[in-house]
Order: sequence, then structure tokens, then C-alpha cells
Amino acid sequence: MLKSDGSVLVHADGGSYKPLNWMSPPCTLTTMEPDEELRGLGVVELWRVQHAKTNDLLVISIFEILSDTSHELGIDPGLLKDGVEAHLQELLAEHIHTLGEGHTLVRREYPTAIGPVDILARDASGGAVAVEIKRRGDIDGVEQLTRYLDLLNRDPHLAPVVGVFAAQEIKPQARTLAEDRGIRCLVLDYDELRGNMTEDNRLF
Amino acid sequence: MKLHVNRDLLSDAVSFVVKLLPQRTTLPILSGVLLDASGQTLTLSTFDYEVSAQTSVPAEVATAGEVLVSARLLSDISHRLPHEDVTLETNDSTLTITSGQSTFVVYTMPVDEYPKLPTVETWSGEIDAEEFATAVTQVAIAASRDDVTPVLTGVELTVSGDSLTLVATDRYRVALRTVPWTNASDTQEISALIPARTIGEVAKTFSNQGVVSIAITNGTDHDMVAFQAGGKRVTTLLIKGNFPPVTRLLPESVPNFAVVKTTDLIDASRRVGLVLDRESPLRFTFSLDGLLLEAVGSDQAQANEQVEAFLSKDDVVVSMKPQLLIDALSHVHTEYAKLGFTTTDNPNKPGPVLITGQLAKDQVSDDNYKYLLQPNLLLR
Repeated sequence: MLKSDGSVLVHADGGSYKPLNWMSPPCTLTTMEPDEELRGLGVVELWRVQHAKTNDLLVISIFEILSDTSHELGIDPGLLKDGVEAHLQELLAEHIHTLGEGHTLVRREYPTAIGPVDILARDASGGAVAVEIKRRGDIDGVEQLTRYLDLLNRDPHLAPVVGVFAAQEIKPQARTLAEDRGIRCLVLDYDELRGNMTEDNRLF
Repeated sequence: MKLHVNRDLLSDAVSFVVKLLPQRTTLPILSGVLLDASGQTLTLSTFDYEVSAQTSVPAEVATAGEVLVSARLLSDISHRLPHEDVTLETNDSTLTITSGQSTFVVYTMPVDEYPKLPTVETWSGEIDAEEFATAVTQVAIAASRDDVTPVLTGVELTVSGDSLTLVATDRYRVALRTVPWTNASDTQEISALIPARTIGEVAKTFSNQGVVSIAITNGTDHDMVAFQAGGKRVTTLLIKGNFPPVTRLLPESVPNFAVVKTTDLIDASRRVGLVLDRESPLRFTFSLDGLLLEAVGSDQAQANEQVEAFLSKDDVVVSMKPQLLIDALSHVHTEYAKLGFTTTDNPNKPGPVLITGQLAKDQVSDDNYKYLLQPNLLLR
């Protein structure tokens, strides 16, 4: 994949979602004729992608071009946050008691130097609680929350800050890592939150 | 059409038929009020395919006829007319309203496009208007305000023999009251699920009319209920779906209970609840010393208050949202209130609390009002 900023990405046929190999901009792409040896192997075209500021070089040998298309997409709108994830944050903030009785909301998207924490709350005894919300809780999310907690715990007005990793579904490895680090895991029931209910005081 | 009518009678009649109309209708024709003059009467009707309202006032009819005009406009105009003698006259596509030195010309809408009001064949029975109004207010408070589950936004009205029962719930509480009524037909037990807002408005409007007649048509395509009193009639379609069988949640007996002075507990709950947000529960501890209310968990303040209470047997601790309790206490209409406690297998999960009225410390109220409320889990 060639992007308008010059970046080049090579993806696998299936499976993984990250590119197998790539070159970040600023870089220049030069197409070249393969030499005799490479031509003998079946290479029809060589792409030489040179990074502008370092010696990084990516050479791609093309054996067959099945399709070569280009599309003008216009201005990049930026990544929009997943609807359900943003809604989960809104719902949890509204029903902060889901974290436990006596919890109160301090604010959503609490800013830190490395990005915003989904929710900052206080528990029944006034201690600070940082919540990271995901649709699917995997190890990356736990690492992210760990970074936030490190930073927040340096603030004398907030420390000690405990972490809560909240997701609709938490992978076993993520849970292991979280609990090992003293981070509480909370599984969120989207339907229940949206239905505006806290289970405990319903008659039916 | 041409007639003379009294301004106050007209204005009162228009207000009535407009009351239940929704603020914004999708079909402009449904924002109209149908005026029908014949004999010595002017009949006003509104209908939006769900709710209809109709009333008649005496009028001096010179020429019979029908006309359809904007209901809100006619309501606003008739409230401000300067003189008590009002003349209404149609000309082609306008209605002229004259009163004293004031003249209004209102554009009319086509009468034949207006839907026909439902008719009521037989009346099922009648009930004392004031008692009905009180019962509806006591029960409708428990109906759900949001439309996540439509069946919970209604009040279920059941007639059986010579009693009429009203039930409503929003899952957090159930309110129920049975009142006597005069059965006119020999239908067996019949139920109707009526939108809480509509039955509330009707009961309030009819409360001083002496007697309210009720007709229930259930089991056909157009299930509806009709209410009539003092020359005014309202019909409404019923809510489709099954009302949850909540009456079986009410405990048969509550041997462990507390009796408190109603206003004392309402005031104390409001006061102590000030330090928490609306959604947070208060802790109620009942013992031989009385009742202790506590509000904890806010990082701004804490509060507690001791209230006099008589406890029948065992100490009880429950956690309840103050508004749910205050709603019950505000509707028992008695000097004292009785809170009946139930238990479950889990000691940390108390069973529902049954609130009923008490005329005196040891005298039960005779109005059969019951309000069941599920407490919150207790704080560890």
C-alpha cells in the first residue's frame, strides 16, 4: 500500500492486521528494472524505498502485479473513536456506582501528559480510581493503564491512585497481568448499563 | 354554521379537549378541534388516533354545522375574549369569532379529513370521582417515566365484581390500590393497561365531577378504555403487551415492621439526602431506639439523623434511595406509615420493603394502598 505521504506498507495475505514490513515518511520510492539474476527468478519490478533522514532502506521485489489502482481520498478525517467504546465511557460515567457503592465521578477524559484517562473517580473513602475502558480488554490496554497509573501516582494530590480495567470482555492474559499489578478487572454489561439499571434494587 | 355561546363555557371546553393533545403532531390536521353545532349544543372534539376528548356546552344555534380549526389557537383566543357573549360564524374557509369589540378570523381545515372519534357502546360501571383521582395519583407515581419498556409506562386497571384495582411499576417499586366501584355490566374480570399520563390527567380533571363512568373494550382490534364525567369524555387506546404479574411480589404478611410519623420521615430523608446525589441510597437502621438515617460516601459531607420509630421485632438495616421512599410516604395520606420488612436467604440482601398507611400508631389504614420497594445491597 502506498499512501499519499510517501509511506509504503507490505501486508500479509491473511491473519495479522499490522503490516509485515513498511517504511515511514519522509521517504522516496524508486521503481527499478531487476537485473538478469533477479529476472531469472521471476522478479518483474523492484521498488526501492529510501528513508530521507536515515540509512533505512526497504527493497521490495515484485513478482506479479494483479491489480494497480489509485484513489483520491481527500483530506484525512482522523480516526473516529468506536461508537460503542465512547458510549461505554458515557454510560459508566453516568452509572459510576457500577464501580462499587459510594463511588463518585471526578471527570471523564482526565488529561495526563501521555493522553487522557477514560474516567477518574473517587471511591467511597475518597481514594482516587483511574479507569481504562475498552470493548475488548487485551494486554495492550493493561499496559496503557499501567502507564497512566505511574504518571498519576506522581501527583501528590491524587496519590495513591488505584486502577480499574473495565471492558465488555477481558482476555485471560490481560486479566493475569492486570491482577498481578494490583489492577482490578471489571466486566461491563453494555445492555445492562444502557438499560439504566443497577441490578441490586430491582424487584424483577 | 352560526351560533352564540358563553365565553367561559367555550374556553373551559376548549382547554379540556386540548389538554391531552401532544405538543407536536406529525399530521397537521390532528392539531385541530372539531366544532359541531346542532340543536341547542356545541360539541367540541379532538382525536389523534390514540386519545380522544369530547365535551358539549349549551349554545344558541342559529345555523347548524361543523368546522375544524387549530385547537391551540382557539384555546388562546377564547381565553382572552373581552366579552362573555361570543359569536361563532363560518364563511367559506374561515371561522369568525366575535366578542365585544374584538373580531378574529381563523382559517379552517377540511372537516372530512379529520378522523372519526371512537364510539362507546356500553359503560362497564362507575366510580366515585374523588376516590378515583386519589387512587390514580397514589399508583401512577410508580409507573416508569422512560419508554425503554412500554408496558411499564402504564397503569393496569382491573375490574372484578365490585372492586377496581390499579397497579403500576417501574421495576424498582410497585404501587397498588383497590377501590370499590359499581359494576354495571356482568363482564367477568377484565383488565386494561392505560398510559399513566393519560389516566392521570383524566382522573385529575374529573375529580370534582362526582362520578366517573368507565368503559373497557378489550379483546378486539381496537382495545380501548373510555372515561366519562360531567358531560366530558375521554377515550384512549390501551398499551399493547403483557403487564408483569407483580401482585404476586407483595408479601402476604410482614411480622417484622416499623411505624414512623410520615412527615418526620419525609423531612429527615430529604435533609439527610442533601449531601448525596439523587441516585445514592441512604442507610436506614431500625432498632429499639428508633430509626437512624445515615448518608455516607460523599467526599464533601456526611449526615445523619435520629427519627422516632416503633419497631415490632428484630433490628433491621436497609439501604434505600430516598426519592423512592419519599414517593411512597407522600402518597399514603395518613399520619403514620408502616414499613414492613422481609428477608431473603442472603443476609446482605434484604427483601423488599412494604409501605402502607397507618391512621395511628396501632391502627392500620383502611384504604388498601400498598407500595413495595426493593432496597439496595448494603455497603460492606
